[in-house]
Amino acid sequence: MKQLPSYSVLEELSKQAKERHLASLFSDDTNRFEAFNVKLPGLVLDYSKQNLTSEERQSLFDLAEEAKLSDWIEKLFNGEKVNHTEGRAAGHTFLRDLAHPKSEVSEQWAKMEQLVDRVHTKQLRGYSGKAITDVVNIGVGGSDLGPLMVTHALKGIRSPLAPELHFVSTLDGKQLQRLLKSLSAETTLFIIASKSFTTIDTQSLATTAKEWIEKHSSTHAGTMQHFIGVSTNAPKMKEWGLLPEHQLLFWDWVGGRFSLWSTIGLTIALQQGMEGFNAFLQGAHEMDVHFRTTPFKDNVPVTLGLISVWNINFLNLAGQAILPYDSRLKYLASYLEQLVMESNGKHVNRKGEMVDYRTCPILWGEVGPNAQHAFYQLMHQGTERVMSDFILYAEVVRKNERNTFHHNLNIANCLAQSSALMVGKTDEDPNKDYPGGQVSNTLLFDKLDAKHLGMMIALYEHSVFVQSVIWDINPFDQWGVELGKKIALEILQKIEDKDTEGLDSSTQGILKSIWNVQNEN
Amino acid sequence: MKINVFGNTVSAMVCAGCLAETGNNVTLIGKRPEEIAEPGLVELLDNQLKSERLTINDSLDSNAECHIIALDPDDCYNAKLIANQLAKSALRDSTIVVRSNFSIGLAKELAQTANLEFAINPDFAADGHAIQRFTRPDRIIIGTSSEKIREQLKQVFAPFNRNRDVILNMSPASAELTKYGTNAMLATRISLMNELASISEVIDADIEEVRLGLGADKRIGRAYLYPGVGFGGDNFTRDLERIKLLLPQAHQNGGNSLLQAVIDINENQKEIFFRKLWQYFDCDLNGKTISLWGLGYKPHTTSIESSASLTLITAFVNQGCTLKLYDPFALEASKEWVHKHLNNHQLQQISFHTEMYEATENSDALCVLTEYKAFWSPDLITLKENMNTPIILDGRNLYNKYWVEDNNFIYYGVGR
Repeated sequence: MKQLPSYSVLEELSKQAKERHLASLFSDDTNRFEAFNVKLPGLVLDYSKQNLTSEERQSLFDLAEEAKLSDWIEKLFNGEKVNHTEGRAAGHTFLRDLAHPKSEVSEQWAKMEQLVDRVHTKQLRGYSGKAITDVVNIGVGGSDLGPLMVTHALKGIRSPLAPELHFVSTLDGKQLQRLLKSLSAETTLFIIASKSFTTIDTQSLATTAKEWIEKHSSTHAGTMQHFIGVSTNAPKMKEWGLLPEHQLLFWDWVGGRFSLWSTIGLTIALQQGMEGFNAFLQGAHEMDVHFRTTPFKDNVPVTLGLISVWNINFLNLAGQAILPYDSRLKYLASYLEQLVMESNGKHVNRKGEMVDYRTCPILWGEVGPNAQHAFYQLMHQGTERVMSDFILYAEVVRKNERNTFHHNLNIANCLAQSSALMVGKTDEDPNKDYPGGQVSNTLLFDKLDAKHLGMMIALYEHSVFVQSVIWDINPFDQWGVELGKKIALEILQKIEDKDTEGLDSSTQGILKSIWNVQNEN
Repeated sequence: MKINVFGNTVSAMVCAGCLAETGNNVTLIGKRPEEIAEPGLVELLDNQLKSERLTINDSLDSNAECHIIALDPDDCYNAKLIANQLAKSALRDSTIVVRSNFSIGLAKELAQTANLEFAINPDFAADGHAIQRFTRPDRIIIGTSSEKIREQLKQVFAPFNRNRDVILNMSPASAELTKYGTNAMLATRISLMNELASISEVIDADIEEVRLGLGADKRIGRAYLYPGVGFGGDNFTRDLERIKLLLPQAHQNGGNSLLQAVIDINENQKEIFFRKLWQYFDCDLNGKTISLWGLGYKPHTTSIESSASLTLITAFVNQGCTLKLYDPFALEASKEWVHKHLNNHQLQQISFHTEMYEATENSDALCVLTEYKAFWSPDLITLKENMNTPIILDGRNLYNKYWVEDNNFIYYGVGR
């Protein structure tokens, strides 16, 4: 990145940017919003509250040109092996192109549709012959966060035929045990969602679930009615004993954190019906087309991505808050933590060299009105400078007097916070002084439905990709998560052998303390 | 008395015929069907038409003193038309008597439209006994706030109220709820018996023995204690759904409502034979042939409304079974239903038979769903020859299970 001609221009420009107060940009230009927003049908991105002038913005676009962003976008959409460390394409956009589906994708969607239809018509049966009423998704990471976030967001507009959905992910097993207490074995279906079908988190939970069903079901055939597998690993699913019609495939060219668009989205389809699932894909596809065909200056994902680069690399901001002003997006921050940080939390470039600039920010978030009573204090008066994304919906849900009042209260709070963070307020009492100058985007969507949610997720995916291109890193691998998995297996062996030899003294000390407590009981 | 009776229903015709027979001048505004199954009704109507005390007409008698509405319970549209007609042409001191089981509150609305006083007089007759129940009722409920109607109906019903006074006066709302409550109570007894039947299977009791034991208690009585594959028909189902809507919102869909539980148990009961076969064939029914005897919700009816057969057809077809269907009355209605509800591929899996044993050829299981007389004593030798797997599922507990088992059949009843 540092070799690109515009880098030094931007570095020079950033000196003045660091000196000015964000609020001054508004006092200098009362129509600033007009020049610093981009629109798409259903969506407005207001980035006027970024510490950015039109000159700086132009240099960012230049930087993107120099980084050959357009070429990279074409490589992504053409299915080139942009995930070079694993020798794979990143094909999530293929999954959403409903008009030109790949044949292997259509085949799996047909299979998924059949399963959805059987559940919706109450014809998918458990061991006793009773129809399935509850579906538990067992998965972790990409097999959990995306479907969890989406189905929580869209719960209010679920199909009347939808089963009850539940999600378990944590390998300690307590989440699953608590859930099983409230479910009836004869009407519960488990989806084992695992790209590799070897992840110990998921496998351990699947085994616990299977043992639970076996306690009630007297035959193996009965037990297997209760499990559906979603994986890229067909042999492993077969080995586990899953019925052929209960095995859904996806492909190694779909990254885990991009897999909610594949058969991993089964829970979304169960909740929304195939029609709703297709609307979700269609929303994302519209964002794909926009991303691929729109000039940078009107391109929402490109703009969003370049703003992050400006903030991170030139204004030295290291934190990014995600602040949806809508409780339906309770799990958005968790979802984006994976999408953004697992993608761009990298320290080597595509040549394998250490980078000498910062890459991914630390991202966190919470539903806005709750976050106001939690970490906004830090944003208003702490010592850290951060960037925020405020997310807002225009439509009043189930419009009536009270709902309209709540909605307006919510809008007022969102706008008040982004404004207060920007402007601040001086006071003689240092405790009541607000420095302001905290930058933010506001993403305003018409409404929250499957289509608009698809658009939003694709927007963030592409913004992540834009940043990775500027940083010259591979956003589609995740080697960093392997080391811990490997050591965990070694330590598990040590625990089972009650042997601490060769472990570091901290690990030894903790293990011995644990064993002391366990022995006392 | 000059009386108008509105409706094409059995209820309307019985009412019109019986009131003409007792000397009233009755105009039946409706259409007499070509075929009438109700015993005695054809004769009654013919006699009264001949006597000229009964006329069947398209338009009402504007000099009538009483207008009895006995439309189909769902025919809200025509009820409102009639009310408007009465507003224009009825005598101002004439009265409206609603015998139809309309949604609660509709009768009052009609009376307001017609600007006449009204009473609810529910019809409790069951098909097959309608005339007897009209002329020798165990209760005549008159729900009105009008003293005038009370006196008027007392006079109209006097010929049917001689042995002892069975007239019960109450408010219109109470009369409506009494009618709904009757069906709710009967449905509840059936669902309770079905729940006891499922317990019976677990503890190895025989629900038929339990039924006799319960029925011998006078506080309980013997009626409506038959377990089975669920009640159907439009009346029970509709009444339960309608009355449920009047419960507090929180109880309508949750387990806190007894009536919802009654409905849920009943729906669950309709699938009981699917579950037995599903377990018998270890969760793989693909390619099996299943025979169903009795498709209507009860014997001698062409109605398949809410019948267990529909639930079973859907369940078996979805598992890839072939179905052979037999019913002496309801075959046409069933054909219509499957063409409407199943896809072409599924239709290929279904055949209709006009002979009961033909429907069992190469079958893997025979489900007997209604208590037609002809089903009571089947030829087990023929069945054995016809069937691939000798399994009989007895949805009305018609058979002596030992007799069936001694003939080397696998027998499943309900709760035994």
